[in-house]
Formats: sequence, C-alpha cells, structure tokens
Amino acid sequence: MTIALIAGSGMAGRAAALTLRRVGWTGEIVLVGDDPEYPYERPPLSKSVVVGTADMSKVIKPAPEVYEQERIDLRRGVTVTGADASAKTAELSDGSTVAWDALVIATGCAPRELPIPGLDRPGVHRVTRLDEALEIQAVLATGPKHLAIIGGGFIGMEVAAAAVAAGHTATVLEAAPEPMSRPLGLEVAERVLQWATDRGVVVRAGVGVEQVSGDDIATGVRLVGGEEIDADLVIVAVGQTPRLELARQLGCVEVVGGVQVDAGMRTSVTDVYAVGDIAAFPSTWADEDRIRVEHAAVAIGHGQVAAEQIATGAGLFEDIPSFWSDQGDLTFNVVGVARPDDEIIWRGDQVLPACTAFYLRNGTLRAAFSVGDMKTLRGVRKLFAAGVSPTREQLGDPDVDLAALAAAG
Amino acid sequence: MTQVAIGSLSDFPEGTPTRVEADGTALCIVRVGDTVHAICDDCPHAEASLSEGDFLADDMAIECPLHGSAFNLTTGDPDCPPATEAVEVFTVTVDGDSVLVDI
Repeated sequence: MTIALIAGSGMAGRAAALTLRRVGWTGEIVLVGDDPEYPYERPPLSKSVVVGTADMSKVIKPAPEVYEQERIDLRRGVTVTGADASAKTAELSDGSTVAWDALVIATGCAPRELPIPGLDRPGVHRVTRLDEALEIQAVLATGPKHLAIIGGGFIGMEVAAAAVAAGHTATVLEAAPEPMSRPLGLEVAERVLQWATDRGVVVRAGVGVEQVSGDDIATGVRLVGGEEIDADLVIVAVGQTPRLELARQLGCVEVVGGVQVDAGMRTSVTDVYAVGDIAAFPSTWADEDRIRVEHAAVAIGHGQVAAEQIATGAGLFEDIPSFWSDQGDLTFNVVGVARPDDEIIWRGDQVLPACTAFYLRNGTLRAAFSVGDMKTLRGVRKLFAAGVSPTREQLGDPDVDLAALAAAG
Repeated sequence: MTQVAIGSLSDFPEGTPTRVEADGTALCIVRVGDTVHAICDDCPHAEASLSEGDFLADDMAIECPLHGSAFNLTTGDPDCPPATEAVEVFTVTVDGDSVLVDI
C-alpha cells in the first residue's frame, strides 16, 4: 500500500488530502495536525466567528464523517516530530511511525512572539486557531466590550471592524506609522483605514505597547510613554512566521524565507512536497526567483497541485495569487501581488464602497484592489491570464472594458 | 426528491438572478431564453447570496457578489478562487408556463 503523509491539517494540508481522493488516488492518507479540532476554514475566524455570526457548517468543513468515508486517517492534536528523507519514515507525537511514499509538508505559520510582559495573562487572546476565536466569541457574547487589539494588519482590522459592527468598541494599536500600507500601499490603505475609523474603530498608529496591564487578568495595555488603554479583552494579532523545522530536518533547500518548490510543489528532496504559507514557489509575481504568499486561496491551490502530482505526476500551480478581506461591511478583493512602492492608478474618480485601484510596476499592471466592482476585478483576472497590460489611460477610464482588452490581446 | 413549482416563466426576467425559497432550500434562479437554471443560492465559500451577484452570459455563470468566484449554471463549478467547491445544481422543468424544480 502506498502512503501519503500530510504534515499539517490547515487549508493546504486539508486540500491535499481531499484532492487525493477526488482525483481517485487509492493509497493510504495520513493527515496529521496539531490542532485538536476537525480541519476548518481559517479566514472566518477573525470575521464572523469572533462575533458569533458564522454558520459553523461553513467553518468546520468538510463534515467530520467525510474523513472516514474518504478513508483519510485524520490525526488531530498530533504533530510530526521527526522525519528521515532516505528511510522515508516519520515519527509522530502519538508515538507511531509512518513509512511514507510521499510527504506533504503543510506546517503553515506560528504566531509571531512579542517581547511584551503579561501576554500570558487571562484576558489576552489570539485569533490564530478556532478554539481561540471561540474563546473571544464567548467573551463578546456576554455584552458590549472594549477590545484593545495589538496589531493593525488585516487580522487585527478584521476583528476590530467585526466587533464594532456587532456593537462593541475597539482600539487598534499598530507599531508602524501606516497600518496595512505594506500589503496595500499607502494610498489604498488610507482609504480602508478611513472606512474603518468612520465606523467607529479607533486606530492608533505608530505606537508601541510596553506591557499588558492588570494583576491577575488583563485590564488593558500600557503604551510606550505610559498611556493606559483600558480594555475588557486584549487581542494579539501581530503576524506569523513560517514553521520550517520539519523541512529543515529533511534537508529541503530554503529560499526567500520558505521552502523552495517547483510549480508542482516538489521540494529539493525526492517525494517531499511543501505547500501553503511555507512554500516558496515560482510565479510571475516573484521579485526573486520564488515568492511566498500567506493567503488561503493560494494555500488551497498548492494542496490541490501537490495531490495531483502524487496521484498522477502532473499538475502545476499557475493560479493568479489573490486574497480578500472582510472588514465589517467592507469587503475588498486583491488580485495579483501589490508592493508598497507600486504606482497607483485609480479607476476614474470612484470612491469606497465601489472603487478599484491598479498597481503598476515599471508601468506594468501587477495587481488590483477592488471593492464592489466585480466586473473590473474579473477584467483584471482576464488581463493577467492573457498577459495584457493596459496603458495608464485605459486603466484610469471606467468606460474602458478590461475584459475586451484582454480578449483583443 | 420532490418536484416543487416555483412560479411561472414571466416571474424570472431574462438573465436576472432571482432568489426563491423552495421546500426550505434557497435557490438562485436564472432564465436564459426558455431555459431556466437553478443552483443553490448560498455561496459555498463565505456567507453570500448568489442571486445578488451578476449573471455572466459569456460564461453561463453567476458571479458571487462578495469575492468574485463565478459558478457555472450547469456544473456548479467555480471558475476562480476563493471558492473551491461547486454549488449544488438542481434540475428544472418548464411545463407550459410553469417552472418546476427537483428538490
């Protein structure tokens, strides 16, 4: 019997397991994840789950019985503690040894550690895992609360916007002077930030957090300089770092902070694949020879391609990187990869909640940020697929049909 | 499976997605000429009503209004991320002027 061992049951690992069966692979699948829950969608955690509006059947999926039906040996709360590339074996934290034929490393990221005293106190929450998001949900369900959110990235802003929309108050504390400007660029980030502050989210940018306040439980945070921000709960959302220990143990080549893979998600080690957040993959969007993307849609695509490779020896990851963020009543989609120093072209004089910004690098279209304008977003996908980059004037003119430009070549 | 009457042809303007509840199931109905399509109205990806999205005639698909995946009316498959699962497709029968869906 052939065995595929998948280390990590997040978005990429789950996709790999399910895809192996979907394409008719008949070998044994061992899906190992340190999370005690059944695999779930990670994006809703910081949005609908924390405020309790999520349909949980759309969060924990597929339904738990599917793993048995599909003969996927899901081991929850278990990690791969060691692996040997030449013997093709792995030791698991449940004491078992798995002799694998194919190994998919889908270990994702670990939350970044902050050197701040008091983060281990009750009342300090993270939103990385489902159990953590449900803890926040339980607190918010008891009545209006004030949240102090350390970190003004997408996750922090999503939690803040969702909480404020649900009747709570939130103060976001961001060390950088311009929240979200690294992934979105300053001009676009400013509009998104304005939307949130107009709805009541308080954003304090360029501030350092010195410590979590309170004796036994967190009562807020103290900023560098001494100012106290009182809060009923403190949420830490300051980014994450790739978990590379297993890949390192196997001797996988690393590049741009991740595990180097080819378009078939193969690492430098035979029969070892890397997918999701940790995978540094070839892409036309890569500034160097590989790029790493920490977004759900890319992770799922990686998992699918690794599974196709294992099952059939074919399949390449060629998707256009994309992600979305739901911040309260604002949903935006980004297609392509934006860089903070890209040139921005707005489509006409549109403003939120219906506008599109194009990101150009050396005059070439590299990404689009879009809210409430699906037609333009679809046009951009078609432009990328066709390899067509319109002129600034064409992009800036809302009357120009981008899909038609793509079709014309 | 039961066949449920959901209205007459004239209730469904050409190319305009319409939400209909049939036997407790929310459907997104689209009429294209004399053919009527029915797919599940709930986006399988996030919480969105597909009938609030646009009908893409060239692709014979409904585009989710939230994140932009377009679901083929015949196969239910999404054409691009973030959705990765197909929506359920229901069989529709047009009998004279009345539209019936197999639920």
